[in-house]
Amino acid sequence: MATALLGERIKRKEDPRLIQGRGHYVDDIVLPGLLHLAFARSPHAHARIKSVDVTAAQAAPGVVAVYTGADLQGKVGMVPCAAGIEGLKVPEHPCLAVDEVRYVGEPVAVVVANSAYTARDAVEQVEVEYDPLPVVVDPEKALAPGAPRVHSKLADNVAFVAKLEGGDWKALEAEPGIKVIRQRLINQRLAPVAMETRGVVASYSPGEDLLTVWSSTQIPHILKTQLALMSGVEENHCRVIAPEVGGGFGSKLNVYGEEGVACYVSKALGRPVKWIESRRENLQATIHGRDQINDVEVYVRPDGKVAGLKCWIIADLGAYHQLLTPAIPTLTALMIVGAYHIPCVFVETKGVFTNKMATDAYRGAGRPEATYIIERVMDLVAAELNLDPVDVRMKNFPSPKDFPLALPTGVTYDSANYQRTLKKVLKAAGYTKLRKEQERLRKKGRYLGIGLSTYVEICAMGPSSRMPAGGWEFGSVRIEPTGKVTVLSGTSPHGQGEETTFAQIVASGFGIPYEDVTVLHGDTGVVPMGIGTFGSRTTAVGGTAIYLAVERLKKKMARIAAHKLGVKPGELEFKDGKVQTAGGEKAMRFLEVVAEAIFAKQLPPGVEPGLVEQCVFEPANFTFPFGAHLAVVEVDPDTGEVRLRNYYAVDDCGRVLNPMLVDGQIHGGLVQGIGQALWEEHVYDENGQLLTGTLMDYAVPRAHQFPWFETATTETPTRVNPLGAKGVGEAGTIGSTPAIVNAVVDALRPLGVRHIDMPLKPEKIWRVLRSASAA
Amino acid sequence: MIPQSFEYHVPRTLEEASRLAAQFGADGKFLAGGHSLIPMMKLRLAAPKHLIDLTCLRDLAYIREEGEHVRIGALTTHFRIESSALLKEKCPLLPETAREIGDVQVRNRGTIGGNLAHSDPAADWPAAVLALEAELRAVSPRGERGMAAKDFFVDLMTTALASDEVLVEIKVPQLGHGTGAAYAKLHHPASGYAMVGVAAVIALRDNGAVERAAVGITGVGPKAYRAFAVETALHGKPATQAHLNAAAAHAAEGVDVNADLYASAEYRSHLARVYTRRALEAAVKRARAAATA
Amino acid sequence: MKIEGSYTVQAPRDAVWQRLMDPASLARALPGCEKLEPNADGSYTAQLNVGVAAIRGNYTGRIEILDAVRPEQYRLKISGKGTGGFLNGEGLIMLAETGPGTTEVRYSGDAQVGGLIASVGQRLMQAAARQIVGEFFQALGREVQSQGG
Repeated sequence: MATALLGERIKRKEDPRLIQGRGHYVDDIVLPGLLHLAFARSPHAHARIKSVDVTAAQAAPGVVAVYTGADLQGKVGMVPCAAGIEGLKVPEHPCLAVDEVRYVGEPVAVVVANSAYTARDAVEQVEVEYDPLPVVVDPEKALAPGAPRVHSKLADNVAFVAKLEGGDWKALEAEPGIKVIRQRLINQRLAPVAMETRGVVASYSPGEDLLTVWSSTQIPHILKTQLALMSGVEENHCRVIAPEVGGGFGSKLNVYGEEGVACYVSKALGRPVKWIESRRENLQATIHGRDQINDVEVYVRPDGKVAGLKCWIIADLGAYHQLLTPAIPTLTALMIVGAYHIPCVFVETKGVFTNKMATDAYRGAGRPEATYIIERVMDLVAAELNLDPVDVRMKNFPSPKDFPLALPTGVTYDSANYQRTLKKVLKAAGYTKLRKEQERLRKKGRYLGIGLSTYVEICAMGPSSRMPAGGWEFGSVRIEPTGKVTVLSGTSPHGQGEETTFAQIVASGFGIPYEDVTVLHGDTGVVPMGIGTFGSRTTAVGGTAIYLAVERLKKKMARIAAHKLGVKPGELEFKDGKVQTAGGEKAMRFLEVVAEAIFAKQLPPGVEPGLVEQCVFEPANFTFPFGAHLAVVEVDPDTGEVRLRNYYAVDDCGRVLNPMLVDGQIHGGLVQGIGQALWEEHVYDENGQLLTGTLMDYAVPRAHQFPWFETATTETPTRVNPLGAKGVGEAGTIGSTPAIVNAVVDALRPLGVRHIDMPLKPEKIWRVLRSASAA
Repeated sequence: MIPQSFEYHVPRTLEEASRLAAQFGADGKFLAGGHSLIPMMKLRLAAPKHLIDLTCLRDLAYIREEGEHVRIGALTTHFRIESSALLKEKCPLLPETAREIGDVQVRNRGTIGGNLAHSDPAADWPAAVLALEAELRAVSPRGERGMAAKDFFVDLMTTALASDEVLVEIKVPQLGHGTGAAYAKLHHPASGYAMVGVAAVIALRDNGAVERAAVGITGVGPKAYRAFAVETALHGKPATQAHLNAAAAHAAEGVDVNADLYASAEYRSHLARVYTRRALEAAVKRARAAATA
Repeated sequence: MKIEGSYTVQAPRDAVWQRLMDPASLARALPGCEKLEPNADGSYTAQLNVGVAAIRGNYTGRIEILDAVRPEQYRLKISGKGTGGFLNGEGLIMLAETGPGTTEVRYSGDAQVGGLIASVGQRLMQAAARQIVGEFFQALGREVQSQGG
């Protein structure tokens, strides 16, 4: 069985324990003497803290301690921001607010009690007197002269302005016949809503001066470094463990104030403490995603060739920087030309402070915004010039022979064949027939819409030169005396399924059953170094590290076996549990070679005993997966409701290591991307109150709302890594949002509709229909 | 999400439940399936000091036919109603409505009685019991009484039940010959509650005119209501599309229409009219089928 | 949140005005009012247990009556905080005699709600506000009548 493992549809190793409820999450960690934390949070979007009275809370039975921002001042470091942007303003971001609160949900005090119930009740006895300050919610108003300032120490609300420019704009602007299309696109604020909310257990042992932290995180190693800096415990006395993590979608690619507070309290009291975020806190005070205003100007020739693109981005950062807050919109600029050869580009990105929770990475992180912009642009061009959106895309695609392709945005796309995915999705959907059906239905007063998205995204993050904390990844492979293989990865999968993929890589490398491979990750006490899981990097970067470690071990094993068998190492292959010559005349069982290596009786000269190898893989570039999606919708003319009838997705994530996992990632991604297009929207009112504070108000998409997704892949391997894999964790989300909006706008085209902002709530569409019928 | 602390009581009899409720007054709340009350407690919107759990009163979970009526115990779960063969035959509007409630997990725990007594302005059952002209029966130390559905819903989450009264049964008259019923609903994408939910019952005369129309609407106002103006507009008229359209136009008449993030009052009124028309159309179609059956 | 509406009280305008200005009457008419104490500056400190059905919260707040034009209109300013968050509201109350012994009270105002209620009660807030205001005026009507106008 073994050698064909890579590329096979294999069920996930992690699922039996997860679907039987036998996994262990942060809340399952119980330690002797455990105390519980609950946070008092600001009900105001902006206010001065006049006083915090903790006497009543402190006196409540079962309460051990209460700390305020003032108590922690100078004792816990600030919540860190790792984004490196020229001229970036980084305001102070204390774990607990000190003098001022700047968004609803900002933690002000923490109650420590002997049970989570007691702690929660006592929070209501923390008396905080606030003096409300002017609130700024709309990022455009925040830019206006004289606008209330989120941070009074800063001159204005602009955190940074970044510009990206390429191509000969002078020539283009002077070009006769060039047409300019303008459009404002709004990419609304979303909540990531991982199924498991955040949680942290911090346990400080004074004797050993050892801080152990269990956190629901995507980046245990980075978190360890940051918590060491924040808490003052030396980093080599810190250990961070990410146990089972129930989803992150980028929201746990972060270092949060609550984690800093937990470490402080455990150290101060010498007892372990636990904090489990409630869903309400999760919606308020876990990072949000998206939230950009994009003003675009498209320069297009009469034949549909897009020659230039300008975009002014206003990115609503919220009140503070979290780990990567300001970096996210810069990814939008980087990917703004999408899958098209557009020679002239200009992007100005303004990061703006407002009295809201910080935005940061949410599945796709800056690229869904870019894809939304460029894919809407392609449809705007098609509508303006009365061309088929397919033709406009084909016209602007680079040829497969153009790769690697250097772009005016400063990135180099590795490999692609955009024509192939588009043709494949058109065929799957029966595009020509669909257009005819659309014509027929239009005559009957029915609104069928067909929407395309031919996205490209940036993955496998990434070369260290472009990543603030480095972009390499660590992997090690160790063969135990019994022949079982233990893999350590510096990545931190939390639902993606790499325990399975990594086992496939190792098992097919060694020619052994994949059941013999165990993958460990997420514990800095076990895995020496790592970056983490985000940016669709785990398989492409982390998997490659493991693949290369396997190759190193195989070399060593071949030397040992060759010495024993009297052949040359190069003559040996690993197959079906054996290390053998090509025809199998001379062979040793895998386990025999292992025993030779570990018991070290007759090793060749210069070979160290033991079988353990590691690799830190540094990718030379990002990878650029791509795909073509097609959505078919029908709009109810009476109510404006959108029914998603069919969805076709052809994705190319390079070499596919496990089609079942790729399917799973695409399905989940589609649901989130379509959710943004149709339903999701995190809403603050003009006073900065969060109105979508429960899952009865914030519309997380559910399985029953979707048709079956027709998915397929093409495989255009990358040369960036030896696996040829590009990454697929975010593709579905990135590709799908514009396909839906394009479909709905296409449905309403006979009414002269050119654009509708997301989410495409029925009322919005009803109003469009009504004003069209009135006109 | 952690609610405020409360005392939990498990009465063994209806009498005991009622006595406890009388004793605690405004500090007490009955608990049935808990799928409306518990979320509110977890959000700390509601903080009753005493919960009186009725779920041990197993006698209150039943569906049975008695003469011209179907009787449903208040503690019957939505799922049992959804899957009841008896109801599918005798009163299909009830399974049809049950199917639209929440999701499978909610339907497995939530009960019709709990739902009605809680009386969320966007809950599904109120529309159905109004349209079916059901009787809601309740027990208190003063004895048992029945209330017409139209008198049961008083205001936002406020019913005609006294605080020590336990809703015990929903008594539904069986639909006669030539009668059809339907439920049309637009789901709120987050809560699954009705942005608008319309239950319609239509009885047709042999000549095709409307003998009787009863329409219950939920999700639109502070409480579910009978759309009497719609009913009156149809009475005695032939069930033509034009008449159905004209009648449906009265769906939100005289109602303080709700507004939220998903639908303004104006749009919700429009939805009420469209979904009323759809419920009427479906009910008429079924009434015609029933007449020829 | 905008709150507006009108309510008809079966009593002459002067009588309605008097009740509206009388702390004891107000205390009885305000839904869930547990305490209403006049302050030296003419404002009141109130303690309310207010809500709809099982959804209630305890609030402490300040009620101010401003720009009173007897017996026609005044501005009402309310600020309070409690378990459900905070509330700040300001509105105009106008009294008009619409018939003999009949007074129409029109109110229009803007309330800003923050904290728990704002973030989790969005769906029910308007209907609840209407109901509470309705309860107040009903009670006020009873108040006027029981005191013999």
